[in-house]
Amino acid sequence: MPAKPEIILNVDDNEPGRYATTRILNRAGFQVLEAGTGKEALRLARSASPQLVVLDVNLPDMSGIDVCRQLKSDPDTAGIMVLQVSATNIAVLDRVNSLSAGADSFLVEPMEPEELEAVARALLRLHRVEAELRRSLAERELLLREVNHRVKNSLQLVLSMLSLQGGEFREAGAKELFAKAIARVTAIASIHERLYQDTDPLTIDMQTYLSGLCAELARAGIGDERHADLRPAIEPMRLPTEHGVSLALIVNELVMNALKHGRPNDRSAIIKVSLRRIEPGQARLTIADNGPGLVAGDPASAAKPSTGLGTRLISMLVRQLSGQLSVEHTDGYAAHITFPLPQQPAATWDSKS
Amino acid sequence: MGLEVLIVEDQVLIAIHLQDLVEEAGHRVSEVAHDGPSAMAAAARQPPNIAIMDLRLAHGESGIDVAHQLYEEHGIRCLFISANIDDEVRKKVAGLRPLGFIGKPFLPAEVIAAVQASAIAVESNAC
Repeated sequence: MPAKPEIILNVDDNEPGRYATTRILNRAGFQVLEAGTGKEALRLARSASPQLVVLDVNLPDMSGIDVCRQLKSDPDTAGIMVLQVSATNIAVLDRVNSLSAGADSFLVEPMEPEELEAVARALLRLHRVEAELRRSLAERELLLREVNHRVKNSLQLVLSMLSLQGGEFREAGAKELFAKAIARVTAIASIHERLYQDTDPLTIDMQTYLSGLCAELARAGIGDERHADLRPAIEPMRLPTEHGVSLALIVNELVMNALKHGRPNDRSAIIKVSLRRIEPGQARLTIADNGPGLVAGDPASAAKPSTGLGTRLISMLVRQLSGQLSVEHTDGYAAHITFPLPQQPAATWDSKS
Repeated sequence: MGLEVLIVEDQVLIAIHLQDLVEEAGHRVSEVAHDGPSAMAAAARQPPNIAIMDLRLAHGESGIDVAHQLYEEHGIRCLFISANIDDEVRKKVAGLRPLGFIGKPFLPAEVIAAVQASAIAVESNAC
């Protein structure tokens, strides 16, 4: 049993017809409201919130089909079931137009009492199911928001705890290792600040994500070196979140290497981070510094990531992206990662179109 | 100009982290408050130049209400921090001349940049 009695709005300008319909529905046990015009029908649909409208096509002030269209296009009344009714002689055209305008069912006058009652019951049943689905969906959305809030808040607590702990270290080696751990966790965690905020929670806007991370890497630095000149040039592009996290971790490792090994002696250090589309279906991430590059006789000195973990992370992540890593030594040291862009429906490609 | 910053955040760890970042940005934290009443008391004792306000405080208290009080009684503007910043929130505080919005988990660099931008906004307003 529903908590509140179900109300049917009966709309017909022809008084004997309206009376007959109301009588059938009353006898079937429904509460019935009446309207004789389209305007009155729209007013009552909003104020009395009926579950079903039995709507005559021919009304004095406007077409019943227009009334239906207005009901279905207003979010406040779109859930109301509409049973459109029309006289026999014009029924076929009206039937098509009514259903196209959003009516849920259609009957031809004169109506058999049993049929009217059965159709009304069927539509009310549908209404109950739809209302239950809507309620459950709203509940889920609330739950998702709450979980999302907690995840982000917990990640913040983890990051704050790590940062405070990091301030405790005095010895340079330990300090640097801890700073690296914080940077790695930050790269992963900070994607959550940007997810779920926009329309598409399954992809991430790489421009804001990577630019933000670069600003943080420049601030935090490695060891005592801070406020590096980091220049991100990230093309606007949305990628699936797992691609986003992989790329962010690669940027994190390569920028940390550049901060440590890529500092020129004779000029100020500049680190460039770019992400751009190259040929169709391919993109390239480049991290370039203006440091000493490869030192003769020690080919690994600049290129080699400073820790074993860094090297492993980069090679695994590049493989996960099905990408290729290549290095270049022109003015400094540059690492290029070329990877195929994932196949996606066009709609999710360029943001918020 | 160095700012006096009031931090209103019910989670101690995050509050201390924010305090470190405000100081790294070259400003001073006047007090750390964990709820509305302690924030209002702190503002009355020593009016800060700005407040950093968490939108969701303990026991269901809303940082939006506290921000309203701070603005109406002391003219203090807020830099808002929350895990859920949406259009609805922005609308609710639009009249308080918000200094900015920072999402959690935040990047320290974002907080510092936002505090610096607030310093400029408050200063240019005072002249």
